[in-house]
Amino acid sequence: MSNGNGKRFLKPGKYLMMGNVAMAEGALSSGLKFFGGYPITPSTEVIEHLAKRLPEVGGCCMQMEDELASINAVMGASLVGAKAMTATSGPGLSLMTETISMAANIEIPFVFCDVQRCGPGTGFVTVPHHNDVGLTRFAGNGEFEVIAFAPMSCQELFDLTITAFNYAETYRCPIFILSDAYLGHIHEVVNIPPKEEILKRVIDRTIPEDTKGAKFTYEDINTHKLMIPKPYIVGTEFCPPLIIHLPHNQDGVLMPEENSLRFMKIMIDKIRDNIDKISLTEEYKLDDAEIIIISYGLPVRASYRAVDLARKKGIKVGIFRLITVWPFPKEKVKKVVVGAKAIIVPEMNYTGVIAEQVERVTDLNIPIIKVPKVATLHHPDDILKAIEEVAK
Amino acid sequence: MSDDIRYPSEKPEHPYLDSSFSGMLLGTLVSRFCAGCGYGSIGQLYTRVFEDEKLDPNLYPLVIGIGCYSQIFFLVHKNAQKMLTLHGRAPAIATGMKMANPKMKPIIFSGDGDCLGIGGNHFIHLCRRNLDCILFIFNNSIYGMTGGQAAPTTLYGAISTTTPYKMFEPRSDGVELALAAGASYVARTTIAHPRTLMKYFKKALKHKGTSVIEVITPCVTYFGRKNLDNLGSEGEPGEIMDTGGKMFEWIKKNSIHINQAKFMSKEELFNKYIIGEFRYNPSKSEYSEEYKKIQNIAMKGD
Repeated sequence: MSNGNGKRFLKPGKYLMMGNVAMAEGALSSGLKFFGGYPITPSTEVIEHLAKRLPEVGGCCMQMEDELASINAVMGASLVGAKAMTATSGPGLSLMTETISMAANIEIPFVFCDVQRCGPGTGFVTVPHHNDVGLTRFAGNGEFEVIAFAPMSCQELFDLTITAFNYAETYRCPIFILSDAYLGHIHEVVNIPPKEEILKRVIDRTIPEDTKGAKFTYEDINTHKLMIPKPYIVGTEFCPPLIIHLPHNQDGVLMPEENSLRFMKIMIDKIRDNIDKISLTEEYKLDDAEIIIISYGLPVRASYRAVDLARKKGIKVGIFRLITVWPFPKEKVKKVVVGAKAIIVPEMNYTGVIAEQVERVTDLNIPIIKVPKVATLHHPDDILKAIEEVAK
Repeated sequence: MSDDIRYPSEKPEHPYLDSSFSGMLLGTLVSRFCAGCGYGSIGQLYTRVFEDEKLDPNLYPLVIGIGCYSQIFFLVHKNAQKMLTLHGRAPAIATGMKMANPKMKPIIFSGDGDCLGIGGNHFIHLCRRNLDCILFIFNNSIYGMTGGQAAPTTLYGAISTTTPYKMFEPRSDGVELALAAGASYVARTTIAHPRTLMKYFKKALKHKGTSVIEVITPCVTYFGRKNLDNLGSEGEPGEIMDTGGKMFEWIKKNSIHINQAKFMSKEELFNKYIIGEFRYNPSKSEYSEEYKKIQNIAMKGD
């Protein structure tokens, strides 16, 4: 019998795809084998699509009894070596935080798609609101770093999901994809590359040849460099005898209490030391820009138009786009904002989670203008108005 | 009994010392449980079955929830793949493991607060799916690790730190719940019947489907010391259960075999544990096998 891999990849070409479906296809391309989910608007299409597609590739899509069960099943599947993911929205995410914090501790990777909707509480379920950006950074008790992607189109949902799975295998921490209600339901053309091209990008879950090696992140005694080994797999020789979510060393053996600080350092520095490799950013007309727009997700699309319009009027403005929101690329932003006349941060939330991060690394005399929008998209004119005001 | 027989000068070697995790790490059996606790015996019994049945550790991972019994990993077999997971979520994690690697048969350890309290939903749905795994519920009718609060299984009239006057809520029955939810092998025994426990465990290992085995264990420190063996009911004066022996006697007295219970009235069975095998249905369809059929339909024409 075939192993079902024949249906893993779509035929190369252009497809008109919904955002949620593009993300699901991206996951399948990177070798998704388990999906545990619970229906919640606006992420429901992901589980609907994968319920049909995953059995075709020999995987398993389970509708669990609640969000807690779905994230735990995902963790269980990832423990035994399957690439696993879940998709939910804000209320589901808040339920799942318990397991996210445990997964960070035992360094079990999985990908987590958050199709954000307007909150707090149940809120408006069908409109976008980037209100989980802060929650994803601090999801769960305890200290740990996460990686979060903010795609802005269906094509990116497909591509970045593959990158997200690769990051999960490499850095072994919770990975978020911050989609939203409009991006998840938008229909756009997605260009599916040929199978060989995708396979070249994908990092598979394999057992290293030397199975006696370390199972958890650890510090090299001589170089003090952090080593991140491949994730262990339960049910094989490459697995610690005891998996426990307490401070542990590279083999899963408990650390004495006085070493907890060292453990925290290892867990957090594995991301912070690699921030240059992890963080993905994009620049647009930034070379001579005096006014800088820093943004992520859907507002970037409106910003492009606003910048083009402003340039026609002779205002020197450029965009610095965060593709990975977390970890926040502190050093990169620091370099970009030097000498800027003003910084504009259009965000789809009122508090301005990223604006606060930008404030952290900017000189006090550079004004930071927030352009908040909730439950609706930014119109280019909204951003253009802000640009013209500071250019006066 | 003379002291020579009870405490022989030469300590006999434990037959399963080398097999246990604690024996491997420290060369001796170390238990972190209170005096009179039943979990030490459970850990040993698990090691015995694991050794005797020559279980493949790669196929029988041990998923442990949160409770006093989490410390059982010191006593279980050294080769067993031990995983400490979250409070109440062990059944959900086992579901993911089983579905991602259907050759596995996860063994889940959970407590009464763990399985019937916080994880009640996961427990019900595990039984409903009839996923191939073994679920142990260690019922000591108290939250031991946090210091003796009332559990969903605490018997009527019992004193705990959160029910200082008496427990007045009706108790939750793990076996009834498992039967209603559709588990295909359901049994209850006590730690005062260790051979029966081993028998049920071995039977569950051969069974395909969800096996739920509830084990009644004593908690001397937080349940026994605070409660009389008549649990405050009127009539005969009760005696405080402040030793393991007294609690074992109470558990034996309080357990009624299912065959005997058939002829007893509801009033007579109040606050009693019915023990025995409640259901054994090997013909019920198992979840991962059913899913395999779905995969075969979906993969057609591949």
